[in-house]
Amino acid sequence: MTKESLARIGVDIGGTFTDLVLTGTGGKLYHRKVSSTPPAPEQAVLAGVAAIMEDAEIDASSIGEIVHGTTVGSNTLLQKLGARTGLITTRGFRDVLEIGRLRTPDMFNLQWEKPEPLVRRRYRREVSERIAADGSILTKLDIDELLSVAQELVDEGLTSLAVCFLNSYRNPEHEVQAGAALEKAFPDLEITTSVSVLPEAKEYERTSTAVVNAYVRPALKSYLTRLEDGLRALGIDAPLMVCNSNGALASSATAREKPVFFISSGRAAGAAGGGRLGAALDTANLVVFDMGGTTASASLVADGQLSRVSEYEFRAGISTPSRFIKAGGYMMSVPAVDVAEVGSGAGSIAHVDEGGLMKVGPISAGAEPGPVCYGIGGDRPTVTDANLILGYLPQQLAGGSRTLDVARATEVIARDLAKPFGLSAEQAAWGVRAVVNANMARAIRAVTVERGVDPRDFDLVAIGGSGPVHAADIARLLSMKRILVPASPGVFTAMGMLAGDVERYFIAPFPGMLEDIDASAALARVEKLKTEAHAAVLAEGIPAEAIALSAEIDLRFRGQELSLSVALGDPVDAEAIRARYLDAYRTIYSYTPTDQVEMVSLRVTGRGERPGKLDFRLPRDPEAETPATTRRVYFGEEHGWHDTPCFSRFGAPATLQGPAILEGTDSTVVIPPDASCTRDPYLNILIEMDADA
Amino acid sequence: MTASIDPVTFAVLKSALESIVDDMAYTVMRTARSPIVRDVLDYSTTMCDAQGRILAQAKTVALHLGAVPDAVDSLMKHYGDDLHPGDVIIFNDPYDGGMHLPDIFMFKPIFSGDRHVGFSVVICHHCDMGGRVPGSNASDSTEIFQEGLRIPPLKLFSKGVRNDTLFAMIRTNVRLPALVVGDLEAQLATCALGERELLRLVDKYGADMLEEFLEEFLDYGERLTRKAFAEWPDGDYTFTDYIDGDGFDETPIPIKVTITVKGDHLTVDFTGSAPQVRGAINSTLSFVKSATYLGIRCVLDNDVPNNAGIYRCIDVSAPKGTLLNPEFPAPVAARALTGYRVADTVLGALAGIVPGRVAAAGEGGNSVVCLGGYDKQTREPFILVDMINGALGGRATLDGVDGVTNPCQNMSNMPVEIMEATYPIRIEEYGLRPDSCGAGKQRGGLSVIRSYRLLADEAVMQLRTDRYQTRPYGLFGGAPGAPSLNLFAQSGAAEDFELLNSKVTREITRGALLRHEQAGGGGYGNPFDRTPEAVLEDVLDGKITVGFARKEFGVAVNGNSLDMVETEALRRAQVA
Repeated sequence: MTKESLARIGVDIGGTFTDLVLTGTGGKLYHRKVSSTPPAPEQAVLAGVAAIMEDAEIDASSIGEIVHGTTVGSNTLLQKLGARTGLITTRGFRDVLEIGRLRTPDMFNLQWEKPEPLVRRRYRREVSERIAADGSILTKLDIDELLSVAQELVDEGLTSLAVCFLNSYRNPEHEVQAGAALEKAFPDLEITTSVSVLPEAKEYERTSTAVVNAYVRPALKSYLTRLEDGLRALGIDAPLMVCNSNGALASSATAREKPVFFISSGRAAGAAGGGRLGAALDTANLVVFDMGGTTASASLVADGQLSRVSEYEFRAGISTPSRFIKAGGYMMSVPAVDVAEVGSGAGSIAHVDEGGLMKVGPISAGAEPGPVCYGIGGDRPTVTDANLILGYLPQQLAGGSRTLDVARATEVIARDLAKPFGLSAEQAAWGVRAVVNANMARAIRAVTVERGVDPRDFDLVAIGGSGPVHAADIARLLSMKRILVPASPGVFTAMGMLAGDVERYFIAPFPGMLEDIDASAALARVEKLKTEAHAAVLAEGIPAEAIALSAEIDLRFRGQELSLSVALGDPVDAEAIRARYLDAYRTIYSYTPTDQVEMVSLRVTGRGERPGKLDFRLPRDPEAETPATTRRVYFGEEHGWHDTPCFSRFGAPATLQGPAILEGTDSTVVIPPDASCTRDPYLNILIEMDADA
Repeated sequence: MTASIDPVTFAVLKSALESIVDDMAYTVMRTARSPIVRDVLDYSTTMCDAQGRILAQAKTVALHLGAVPDAVDSLMKHYGDDLHPGDVIIFNDPYDGGMHLPDIFMFKPIFSGDRHVGFSVVICHHCDMGGRVPGSNASDSTEIFQEGLRIPPLKLFSKGVRNDTLFAMIRTNVRLPALVVGDLEAQLATCALGERELLRLVDKYGADMLEEFLEEFLDYGERLTRKAFAEWPDGDYTFTDYIDGDGFDETPIPIKVTITVKGDHLTVDFTGSAPQVRGAINSTLSFVKSATYLGIRCVLDNDVPNNAGIYRCIDVSAPKGTLLNPEFPAPVAARALTGYRVADTVLGALAGIVPGRVAAAGEGGNSVVCLGGYDKQTREPFILVDMINGALGGRATLDGVDGVTNPCQNMSNMPVEIMEATYPIRIEEYGLRPDSCGAGKQRGGLSVIRSYRLLADEAVMQLRTDRYQTRPYGLFGGAPGAPSLNLFAQSGAAEDFELLNSKVTREITRGALLRHEQAGGGGYGNPFDRTPEAVLEDVLDGKITVGFARKEFGVAVNGNSLDMVETEALRRAQVA
């Protein structure tokens, strides 16, 4: 059997369910949901893999690859289950980790608490060494002191160490020496040097990144080992690939070594998948909107490129409506998909605050006690209850697995919301929906308007169990014209992984003024990075002919803090680079200074296409048309109540004029009166909003 | 809710305006040039309606916010009937709408067609405004004319036409024209972004709706505030706190407040505070109001929007000719310090009203270290304006916070690696300061230490620090935090350290070493009520020493464990 004809399995672990998608044999697609097993997530994965192989009637030898988005990294951080970790720093700087960048996420809050540092002060030790800002060595590293400090930490029972020295981004010599000496003296200890994960300036960001890596490494290593052992026990010897925070794939070996790049593994996959769907459908500008039970997130694909950030924070809270405030979390300066997340989801609870303002979220009813209409204990109105009252959701969920209690939901919304405002229950339910939509639109604004990008030039991709229930309203709020709902929005994240490529990044500082650029030095530096990148992608199992390398240069105006990346080009031409930079800058800030342009670093991305990756363009057959049922649905003051035809997701006519509702096992799609939709040969649904409505 | 605006539109507009000002704040951060703006984040962004009333403010320097109304008054006095599309107005004059000279206010009126619908407002702390000391922030000036370039409300752009004269005046009068103009450009870009976004909202909802929203938003803020005040016990609550000195005289300078709670209204009176002083810590009344509102806002629920609706429920007054309401031409450059102390004083009085909601005093406001001079070879100027933060005091149920911004702003720190790559300065230590916390059932936060070595031939060193004589207060039996220390050695050797005052301007030369140890947060509650286990944890973390544990908490630590017999004896003895 050739590699291309082997089956591939995508696995996404969520809080409630673990989703699996299998593709490959004959282009047929299978998906499966199994209950997650949070204490040992691999159990659900292994059970799911066994089950989906049975569904597809294939045996272990037919599996060519397993692609995985894991929440082990994020859960380890969230639940503080990481290794007992130590930190060794330059003398005088052991508190950099704890002081952080000083800011607080809220204003006027005297009761704020700083998150406990991942390494307590007693396990942060200092050694003699000092490198100057220009990279010269002022004080040599005292290896004896280093080893005796490390011995004390080992004696305390620590199993993982991070090392971060000041200015090591300019000269890594001392960190490299320290890493080698520690590995030799303590073979069982996990060592993370800061330059091995982030060779960039700013001591707090680099220290924090190294510490997160050290903290989660033993947990991720052990999880991946258990998973691979389990897969082998099932007879599967196919490689295990892991999705990183940047939405690309890497081997499990890389994930064990540098887990800090894999913390948002799962979340990034959905966004990246949306981008790949767009590429397959020749749609270059997309906002990927993912709405689940407790949160909603948005990410941007512009000109076919997934929008990314070079640093982000992980925190227990979920609300990051403002990208401006960064505080109160564990900082990681690693490339990640730029996902804005708000604490609004289907389970978010609506209430009236003391001043008489309607608020929705961030508290969620979650799976337990759940929305009122589930009848399993919930007594506070949620978004799902509002959607049910308004007719958006069927009274029977997921193939009849649960009957929803409309009367009870109406009662609670009337009691908690309608009465205080003097509204009808329907009006109040509509209000809940409108407020949650406005909150979620903020996430989209964060990745569009905030970057000077007009959302009206983008299509909205709706994924997650509730994404397609709200997408049309969100699109209307932002004047977006088209919505793309993929064939299986509820398991889309797992599918997205199967369409992923391998990517590895390499970066080198390259300070100086652009006008003085030494072209040959830049190219030599890039060559070196390319050699590393090529070798790294090759090591991920990508054949040489499928590897593409690209070089970029990070630039900023003299004195600015943050930089933008533009293509380096070959030959290196300072004028052309400057022009590209000014263009990119003007796009974002609608003006360009006339100042000197400063170079920061060179970066090379190595990209390798996966053999046999999921093709979103495989035509799929719809089911036989089934007759519609009808129910009354409320579409706001303007449209009022409509008798609305409801179809099964794959048994609806290929084109429809709204209002209509499409019901599937994993999600419900809402087509409002002022919109129409068409189904494409791949069973995606394209909703077009009427103009001027 | 009023009948005119439905609750849904209200919530949507509120979110939309909040995201506009956040977008604006992010734009400043990304486009600014000077480390004081781009790293330390000493700036704020606001959106106002056509009358200059605040619609929303980003999570930036909170203390700027309350000064906007007076700034608007000045702006309107000069240009009330002379505002046009394409205009941009700037000013910094403390005697005409400003706060101190480094803070340049920029207002851009926003027009929808012919109709004036609002203002984008961006306030940035510029790294230099000329004057006698690099950074324009000296504590020991004696009149405003020494402090730098005063800009009354002037048009930087008039109907879209750039005022090259004004640009030239600014360029010529500041030490770092590229950074100052670069940061002005960042302000311009930010105002333009605010304009674009507000017009999108106006297009969608109409300018009338925006006005209705604001009325309702202010009412909403007022409603929540009155509800809170009504629950507070009526009466007079007085508190006095001190500033070390004015840069000339080391006699402590009192700030006294009396808060009168009557029904759902507060009167805040600063009678009894010091007369106007010779040095530059005088503060305009607008800034005093700002600090007062802020202190009160900190004890209200999180949901209360920070808008002028709150101010309707509070009257603030300070007699003319005092520290808190000075007469022209008093110097005001270091007035931020006074603002911090006003907030401390107000919170001290509030401790008598809502003891569970306040914190004991923190570090007392950021310490400012300015090192400026010229490279001997190139004659290129350098000016480091570094702001050091901070520690929060102990709270009713929580310890203070170690190493954190002062709640009056939301500033960050300049990374050591960025500072060393930018300035001829080496940082030799940046860490928490052990034993700096005030003891308490809930201890105060630890402050920080920062040590600077000068690598240039010479520089002017200017320090604006405080809490050297009057330590950050503790509450309800908690001890005050440790006093601040400025240790300086021209020789560069720690054994030669001399102790400097809290406000200093002096010339230093290559190799000099300055070590600033910031004041720590005060404690909350009786230290003997703190559990010995919590004390032990701090000892093991090196946050307090064994001696401090014994003396301040009556807890005996032996090696890595508690000596409970000895601890009980100590605690009995100290109670008796």
